[in-house]
Amino acid sequence: MDVNQYLEIFIDEAGEHLENLNTQIMNLEQDGENMDTINEIFRAAHSLKGMSGTMGFKRMQTLTHDMENVFSEVRNGTVKVTTEMIDVLFRCLDALEEYVTNIRETADEGDNDNEALIKAVNDFLANAEGKESGENASPKDSASAQANEAPSEAPASDASAGSNDKHKWKEIKIGNVEKGAIEDAVKEGLHAYGISVYVQESCLLKAARAFLVFRAMEDLGEVVISVPSVQDIEDERFDKDFSVIYLTEEPLDKVLSAIKEVSEIEDAVGDKIDFSQTADGAQDGGEAKKDSASEADGNTQGNAQAQAAEKPQAKQPGAGQAKKAMGKPIVNRTVRVDIEKLDSLMNLVSELIISKNSLVSVAETEIGQSSLAFNEQIEYLESVTTSLHESVMKVRMVPIESVVTKFPRMIRDLSKKLDKKMELYMTGEDTELDRTVVDEIGDPLMHLLRNSADHGLESAEVRAKRGKPEVGSIFLDAYQDGNNVVIEVRDDGNGIDVEAVKKKAIEKGKITEEQAEAMTEKEAIDLLFQPSFSTAKQVSDVSGRGVGLDVVKSKIESLSGEVEVHTKLGEGSTFTIRLPLTLAIIQTLMVIVGGEKYAISLGSIQTIESIPISEVKTVQGKEVIYLRGNVIPLVRLTKELEVESMNAPDADLLILIAKKGDRYAGIVVDEMIGQMEIVIKSMGKYIGKSKLISGATILGNGEVALILDANALI
Amino acid sequence: MDYLLNNSSADSAEATKFVKIRLDKEWYGIPIAIVENIVRMQRITRVPGSDFWIKGVINLRGKVVPVYSLRLKMGMEEGEELRSTRIIILRVDGDDVGMIVDEVREVVNVRNEDIEKMYYDSTNPYASYLYGVGKMGDDLITLLDMFEVLGVKVQMN
Repeated sequence: MDVNQYLEIFIDEAGEHLENLNTQIMNLEQDGENMDTINEIFRAAHSLKGMSGTMGFKRMQTLTHDMENVFSEVRNGTVKVTTEMIDVLFRCLDALEEYVTNIRETADEGDNDNEALIKAVNDFLANAEGKESGENASPKDSASAQANEAPSEAPASDASAGSNDKHKWKEIKIGNVEKGAIEDAVKEGLHAYGISVYVQESCLLKAARAFLVFRAMEDLGEVVISVPSVQDIEDERFDKDFSVIYLTEEPLDKVLSAIKEVSEIEDAVGDKIDFSQTADGAQDGGEAKKDSASEADGNTQGNAQAQAAEKPQAKQPGAGQAKKAMGKPIVNRTVRVDIEKLDSLMNLVSELIISKNSLVSVAETEIGQSSLAFNEQIEYLESVTTSLHESVMKVRMVPIESVVTKFPRMIRDLSKKLDKKMELYMTGEDTELDRTVVDEIGDPLMHLLRNSADHGLESAEVRAKRGKPEVGSIFLDAYQDGNNVVIEVRDDGNGIDVEAVKKKAIEKGKITEEQAEAMTEKEAIDLLFQPSFSTAKQVSDVSGRGVGLDVVKSKIESLSGEVEVHTKLGEGSTFTIRLPLTLAIIQTLMVIVGGEKYAISLGSIQTIESIPISEVKTVQGKEVIYLRGNVIPLVRLTKELEVESMNAPDADLLILIAKKGDRYAGIVVDEMIGQMEIVIKSMGKYIGKSKLISGATILGNGEVALILDANALI
Repeated sequence: MDYLLNNSSADSAEATKFVKIRLDKEWYGIPIAIVENIVRMQRITRVPGSDFWIKGVINLRGKVVPVYSLRLKMGMEEGEELRSTRIIILRVDGDDVGMIVDEVREVVNVRNEDIEKMYYDSTNPYASYLYGVGKMGDDLITLLDMFEVLGVKVQMN
């Protein structure tokens, strides 16, 4: 197999699985009993193992395999989750990440065997084994047997372990007619088998698989009875298994292996059917006979014994089965697309809209007047292109989740490394930003978090002295604010010591003492964002080398965003990143002012009021309204935008109540069109800076509408 | 805007292509290297609070592009919209901008030796917009320095 073409997919998916594992193992640490988490971990580890195996990355496979064993024990409840275990698992993830990095760079996993890690992992298993040495089946062995399961072993273990459950064909009621036919066939030298086929749980096209199984069987013989019926199977009206009574000249093994060759078939089991009730020499004949004989009078003793013997193991096959079902991940309903392709798609859609618009204008003038059908089609085209446009735009937006999920893990590591207790609280992970922006903000955020952990939070003793809780808190909050996405990194640590910053700056010769005297607090804090400036007393490998904040600032500025700092000595500091929603989609209210359409971010609007002109008062020459106990100044958009209102002067006023901080304003508009989701477009640099206008958008009909910044009006 | 001229070979017979446009009664040349597109006059969305020569923004294939009245920018009277009126889209320093012109005629080759540098008239506030005059037989076209018009400082590498 030429694996190179899959390499990219492998790297992507491996990255995803690792990220998932990271998150889930964090969860596991919190709640070691949560089966969902454990199963999810298991699934991810298993997929990772399978993938690396397929691609021939043996070291990666070995490591994941051993990790999987640990997870398996956790799931079986034989091993308890401990902090040490989590530590080791995280180190395993790091090692895996290293493999993936190597693969990305050199298409080879490298030659680090990570023996120490593998040993550490296996130690957990050894401990577990030791604890339950009395039990008949060592969990590790059975787990690895399950995992390594060679196809040849499968039927044997299944036949012994699950004969009662798996041989569902025995439940088939064989009518007299069929029985006669089978007996005739047997007399002619054919074999009659009862076969049960199990489709993998993850299989999506069960009917198609079943069809392939039937075709395989019909090549070799004849299906006499099928349960469920062939029709039901074709219509996919079956769970995950079906059973048949089957006539063939071929030996059972050959039939079963033919069935198992069909992909996504988990298992197939079968026995010879013998109505004559005479002993048959075949290896599985005896049991089959017993079973068919016992159909009427319940279990024979032999069967009961078999059952009893299986009991202690009962959990094991069950787990194995579940694991096998999970072997293939539930198919991802996502497609990876190159961002450039999306860009070109978006441009094409825009072109389409333009040409549609010209069609619309043609329809309005010449041909359209005479043809109703033409007009209808144009309208339909219009709605289709509009939704197409919207969909393509939305595709580009991704939640920042993909970036921030790795942070809890990072904080955990930092906590150990710095020997400080800290906890990260995140909100707003679902805040969406354009893909290109999301890709870029990871590093700046990481810097800020490290900064908070290292410089911000005090050591436990200092915290105790100050009466703060021992565990420091770092908050990462993301939310949309008007036309911006705001990401705040906040800590309840020491805050920035402005005097120390000034002193350091003087030491470094960046400012003179006189300058320092004259500096405001804000200016002093801005010093922190200068290159190679660090107030850390010593350089640690976490931060303090003086790279960081300046990088954060330049990165955010390159995304046309800004960074602000608020700090209070002794109480903590807040770094606020404000990113414009260039290309972002926001919910807006479309309004008409003086015949022109404008969009106002819905986020800044509290309520919409219709107020008779008589209720407008003046205070110090300014128009205000008195609404629910608040005096709200009015802003006439017609005046701000230098247009004439289309409404009669005595008509009721349509007022949007906007809020900024604790201040309100009533924005007077002529007319309201309604709520609309719009894509913010940059207007480029040649438009000049306008205070009121924060951007523009293209409406479904191709028209440009401007976006009003409500904050600038308050 | 020297670097837009094809004078790399120092051959004075080397020619540069200009798009020949008309403002009022005179002909001007814009280097074709910065011309992205030429579109018909279309609906322009006014941008309140912008400079008076900015007519607003248009939707150009899904991009929002500001549109200048080149007449107003050059200190001329605003002209009325004609059948021949076009918006010539320029890409300067990575951003697009449209210029409303009265007519776009053709693409012309102007040899370097035929370009006469403009005498700098300090009483004319728009003097810096003018790069020189191109002589094409009997015809003269004023070559515009769009970087100056747009106030963009281009750093030469």
